[in-house]
Parts: sequence; C-alpha cells; structure tokens
Amino acid sequence: MKKLVALFIITAIASITAKAALAGDTLADAKKKGVLVVGVKDSTPPFGFIDGKTRQIVGYDIDFVTAIAKKMGVKLELKPVVSSTRMPMLQEGNIDIIAATMTKSAERAKVIDFSHMYFMTYQRFLVKKGSVKSLKDLEGKRIGTAKGSTSEQNAKKAIPSANVISFDDYPQAFLALQQDKVTAVTTDDHILLGLKSKAPNKDQYEVTELQIADEPYGLGMRKGDKNLVDFVNKSILEMEKSGEAAKIFDKWFGPNSDFHQKRDFKITADK
Amino acid sequence: MLNYKFDWSIITSGKYFDWLVTGLITTLKLSAVSVVLAFILGLVIAVMRMAHNKPVRWFAHAYLEFFRNTPLLVQIFFWYFGSYKILPKAVNDWLVSTNFEFAAAAIALTIYTSAFIAEDIRSGVLSIPKEQMEAARSAGFSYLRSMQYIILPQAVRITVPPLVNQFLNLAKNSSLAMTIGVMEMTYQARQVESYTFKGFEAFTAATLVYLVLSIVITALVNLYNEKVLNVHKAA
Repeated sequence: MKKLVALFIITAIASITAKAALAGDTLADAKKKGVLVVGVKDSTPPFGFIDGKTRQIVGYDIDFVTAIAKKMGVKLELKPVVSSTRMPMLQEGNIDIIAATMTKSAERAKVIDFSHMYFMTYQRFLVKKGSVKSLKDLEGKRIGTAKGSTSEQNAKKAIPSANVISFDDYPQAFLALQQDKVTAVTTDDHILLGLKSKAPNKDQYEVTELQIADEPYGLGMRKGDKNLVDFVNKSILEMEKSGEAAKIFDKWFGPNSDFHQKRDFKITADK
Repeated sequence: MLNYKFDWSIITSGKYFDWLVTGLITTLKLSAVSVVLAFILGLVIAVMRMAHNKPVRWFAHAYLEFFRNTPLLVQIFFWYFGSYKILPKAVNDWLVSTNFEFAAAAIALTIYTSAFIAEDIRSGVLSIPKEQMEAARSAGFSYLRSMQYIILPQAVRITVPPLVNQFLNLAKNSSLAMTIGVMEMTYQARQVESYTFKGFEAFTAATLVYLVLSIVITALVNLYNEKVLNVHKAA
C-alpha cells in the first residue's frame, strides 16, 4: 500500500514537471504548429458565451484573441474554462493564453504573466431591485459568486460579516439569487449586466452603483513566456491605435448592444 | 524557467492549513450524518422491497431504480435548486436561514446511498435460508418482528463488506457537495489553490486525507467485525 502511494505521487509529480518543462517559447511553438489554443469562458456573456444560432463561442474576449491569432498568422482553437480551472490549465500546458474575464492581480502576477489591460470594469452587486443601498445592507447576508475568482476574495474583505458562497460558475450564483438563496451576486460589473440581460424577469434586478474593487482584465500567459507576452502586448496596442479595440467594445457593449455603455478606458502600456 | 516549484509549507501550517482542517471537519460531518441516515433508510427500503404488500414493494422498487440510476450530481442540484419550485416560500426562507447547502447535500447523499445499501441488505437477506423466516412466522412472530429479530441481524453481518464499500463511496462522493457551495475538503483544497496557485500541494493533501479517511473506516469496520461480531477476515 505504502509503495503504491509513493509510486502514485512520484508519477503525478513527474507528469506535472514534464508538462511544465515543455512550455518554453509558446509563440514559436504556436507558429510551428499553426494553432494558438486559448482558454475562454462559454457562459459569461458578452465576454464569452455560446451563440444561440451558430452554436459557436463568441464574445469580447474571443474577438480579441481572434485578432491576435490573425496577426500571428495561425489558426485559433478555443477551449472552455471556468475561473477555477483556467490557471491550472495554462500552467499544465493545455492552453496557451487565458482570455477569460481574468482580473490582473498582484498575487496572480507572481505565478503567470499578464498582457496590458484590455478591459476595465469594477466589482459590483447584482440584487433584487431596491434591496441593497449600501454595504451595510449586505452585512451578515449571504452573497453568491464563483469559485477561484478575485470577486470572492474582495467580497470577504469588504464585508467580513457576510457569508460568501462560491458556486461553480456565475449562472448558478444568479440562479441562487433568483431563488432567494443569496441576497446578492457579486463580481465584475459587465458580467453582472450580462447575467441580468439573459434573465426572463430582468426588470426585477439591478446592478448597484456600489463598487468594491477595480477589475482590470488582462490576457494570461505562462510565467516567463516573454516572446508571447511581447507579441500580445504589441498586438493589442496596435488594435487600440487602429480603432479595432474600440470597435470590438462597441460591438458588445456599445449603444446598439444590450448594455448601452461608453468606453471609459484606453489600452495603454503598463508602467 | 517554467518548472513548478513545490512549497509544502503553505499547507502544513497557518491560514491555509486551517482551511483544510475545517474542510475535513465538514467532510466528516457530512459523511457521518449521511452514513447513519442512509443506513436506516436503506434498511427500511430493503424491508419494503421484500414486503408482501404489492404497492409497498413497487414503491420500493421504483425508489431503487430511480435513485440508483440517476447521477448523484444531478440529484444534488435537484434538492438544492429544484426544491425551490415545490416548497412553499416560508419553508424555503427557513431552509436558507439555516445551512441549506449542507442539508441539500446530506439529503442527496443519504437518498442516493440508501438505494445501494438497500440492495446490499436485500441480497444479504436472500442469502439467509427461507426456512428461518418460516420458523419465525410459525413461532408467532409477525413479518416485521421476524425481520427485526431473526433475519436482519444475520443479514447485516453478511452485508458488512459491501456496506463498507458504500460508506467509502459516500465519503468520497461527498466531495460533489462543493458544487453547491458546501465548504468541504475538496472545496477548501480548491480555495487554497485559487488563493495561492499551489494547486498541486493542496490537492495532494486532499488526496492523502481521503486515502487516510478510507483506510481508517475500513480498519474500524474490520475491527468491529473481529471483536464484536467474531467474524474473521478470511470469512
């Protein structure tokens, strides 16, 4: 028995280190293979979701990586991820880039490399209309969110007395809100608006003005994968300059979308 | 440069260690509650399955087929999300004010496992010569009393090895409770991963804990067999 356990652990360690060691220069590898594998969300409109008609994954994140793959001259392959699986999948080499509503945080930056910010949002609350006016209204209440997200950590910090319940993904957290199992769902503004827009009784819900954190999104790549990071950064800065980035924003969030938002950020190089 | 660096210190002490411990306690609580309830319910269903009354027998049969043949995860979602439509609002509000996640997971685990336990007990009962039942009935015991005093005590003893399997399965299946936000062992391991990105360490620790848990359960049952029931391992 002991030997078996030891053997199991050794094999597991060996397989992880072997995989990690393979990932050297992803840019060169992707060009050689002719394909770039990107992890995206498939249930987080309008960043990444399945289009009802075409059954394809579409969205803001997808348009960005499509443009990057085009500049690279390779085919794009999308793999669905959720908040809790995206980093392990990147580290184990199952995907090359994370384009999945991922906030650039200092803790994450210790483990992976981020591109410049390509989307700016704020953490807010989706609640039943009129039920929450200030953070006080959430003290001691149950708040739903998704596992492995910064939202969860921010919520615990902002309202220590609240009971934060983490579901597998946001649609389940929203279902819990609809069933009065939680008082609020907290995460990034635009994800909340996306959830609300898909609800049959959307008039009963609102996204609060209350905000507890800035959420700049970045594209995630393996630590030290410098060539790819440089290429991605160069690409998105070019997209900003050419107006392509603004066009993608307008397509998903602009006046003709469900969101009627104005773009209040610009993609710039980090200091 | 991309090699994974191991850091076991984060999970052997401090905040993350505490998380894993609270996760383990929740897993133990959830498993213990469900094992006891599933055993009792399994006994009842097994007896119903063998009853002479046809509707009772059919009900038990339908119960078994339904809960054995649908995925546990679906059942967990059913009790947690699906119950909303059936229960009155006051009951829902009350459930939510308690620990509904835990309760829903315990109900799902109990019912799911009870179906398997019932079948194991039934096969144990069938292995007892039917003359014993006839003798008991002719001695004036009712059907239920014959079961209670004569048949079940013997059947349960025979059933111990497969029952242990069900208990082990239940302890491991309890990890599915994390999908509805029950903060058990696997949930906490994932939390540690998402805070520290040391998923490999966290999940190795969780794996070892499940392994130890299973070995301990097996050892305890074997001990019980030998000391209390005088059944020897080889038997």
